[in-house]
Amino acid sequence: MSKPKVGVFGFTGCGGCQLEILNLEDQLLDLISAVDIVHFTEAITEHSDNYEIALVEGSVSTEHGVERIKKIGNIAKIIVAVGACAVSGGLNCLKNLYGTERAMELVYGDKKDWIDSIEVKPIDQYIKVDYYARGCPPNRFEIVDIVRSLIVGRKPEIPNYPVCVECKRNGNTCVYEFGMTCMGPVSRAGCNSRCPNSGSGCEACRGVIDDPNVNAQKDLLARYGLTVEDIMEGFNLYNACNKVPTVENKNN
Amino acid sequence: MLYKVMDKNVYQDFIKALISNYEFIGPARKDRSVHDFVPIKNISELDTNYMRTTIPPAKKLLFYPTEKLVNYEVGKSIDVKPVVESKERILFGINAWDINGMNFLDELFTTDFIDENYISKRKNLMVIGMDSQPTETNFSPSMGADYAKSGFDIYLTELKDKYFIRIGTARGNEIIQKYAEVRNATAEDFKDYDKYLDDYRMKFKLNVDIKNFYDNFELIYNNEEFWKKVAKDCYSCGSCNLVCPTCFCFNIKDDMELNLKEGNKIREWDSCMIPEYGLVAGGHNFRPNKENRLKQRYRCKLKTFIDKFGKYSCVGCGRCIETCLAKINIAEDINSVKREVSV
Repeated sequence: MSKPKVGVFGFTGCGGCQLEILNLEDQLLDLISAVDIVHFTEAITEHSDNYEIALVEGSVSTEHGVERIKKIGNIAKIIVAVGACAVSGGLNCLKNLYGTERAMELVYGDKKDWIDSIEVKPIDQYIKVDYYARGCPPNRFEIVDIVRSLIVGRKPEIPNYPVCVECKRNGNTCVYEFGMTCMGPVSRAGCNSRCPNSGSGCEACRGVIDDPNVNAQKDLLARYGLTVEDIMEGFNLYNACNKVPTVENKNN
Repeated sequence: MLYKVMDKNVYQDFIKALISNYEFIGPARKDRSVHDFVPIKNISELDTNYMRTTIPPAKKLLFYPTEKLVNYEVGKSIDVKPVVESKERILFGINAWDINGMNFLDELFTTDFIDENYISKRKNLMVIGMDSQPTETNFSPSMGADYAKSGFDIYLTELKDKYFIRIGTARGNEIIQKYAEVRNATAEDFKDYDKYLDDYRMKFKLNVDIKNFYDNFELIYNNEEFWKKVAKDCYSCGSCNLVCPTCFCFNIKDDMELNLKEGNKIREWDSCMIPEYGLVAGGHNFRPNKENRLKQRYRCKLKTFIDKFGKYSCVGCGRCIETCLAKINIAEDINSVKREVSV
């Protein structure tokens, strides 16, 4: 069996997701002996357009990016979106809240015409994505699990339950008890409850679960003196591109 | 059961001897209002005056949140080796309802199938019980779990100037003989203990009317409106399961190394409250709604194991009530079943 050829590509983002793959240290040698890496923006100078699996980080925010992502979509058989920016648009989507024109003016002033910038979108707005390695940064062990699952032909197990599950497995005291707020009850796990483990609330970097109880979260935040707008802001940090589930009529 | 008494002034020496001779796990302050059972190296770290721990101590020590079950190697044949971890430890300061929760797990993990991973740890765990102060969500007297009849090697009860000691096993007796200075309990000591128990029971404020629940539940079982109301705010976050001393469900995952030659099967705590729990191949979900799931949880806690073991799988510790951000309250809900039925 020949080794699958993998490309690791970067779009708009901080580049930290590629760094997470490089941070695999103990597993990196095993990873490169299991697959053939033909492109890795942050790690190798070689480049080939012959690959089956594409790991893509970053969101699409330039015309040039649209061309590149479409080309990757045409070549790769399997696309994995890696990290919040690729999966949901991530922090970059905050730009959309201002509108591209206004954001360009704010950042680049009278030089704004020098810059190629369009509305930010996650990669699945341009190409079909097969798997999502969520999070900011993504869980590097989950990236390994996805690659390994693809090699052995199994569906990767990506949690669709709230962060509370992992948080309780870790024996944490709920951060609400310390008067903090947390998006954990409606946010996807898979991060091993990284933020609550170190005493801060979850900010939903992996997005919301499929069936979040938004009404309950509204009631909960209200008990802590917060409003619907605060909830939306809580989601917006990483999920401004997404249609955030709206608060239904409470009596429903 | 042997009954002994230890003077207060020798208690510290007894604990110090245990700490220096065993791997000693006991309660230590974690956050403002929460304790956790952790390895204790020095008696100053130990704080037996606790009310709450997020995770039940026995469950945490005997049934790990994530645990390797087997290791396998794939060569010409597949070589599978069990991974069973076990070492001698003392669990000190566990209270009665958590001992009763552990007794349930003991029965569960040795009925139908002997779970080596659990039971090998359990055999090596010496249990020294002690009462702790109940929280306001604790209803263990209603569940008959505020007093431990068995499951411990030694149970210490702090009276005014002495400890009343119940010794439940030969192993417990050996430890007492080796490390503690004790005398036989006299009639006077028994009277003091009796008075203590009466006073202790008065500290539990939450009462639950569970007596007719087993039968009443049938009447409420198909009342969709009732369950929708009860489960309305449920996040399906599983917190209630994960902090429960008797919830035992787990999921097994394959963790294959990248070399594709070896790997482990790993189990981790699962939860019947998350939607995926009832999902099977082909996409059918047996319990697609949160009200189905909550109803099933109540049945498992309060009915299923009456049929199977003759006991509830709820000890009334109140952890699920404390942990639930949606304020779902099993004690209130048991009482509302009673109210619905008696109207």
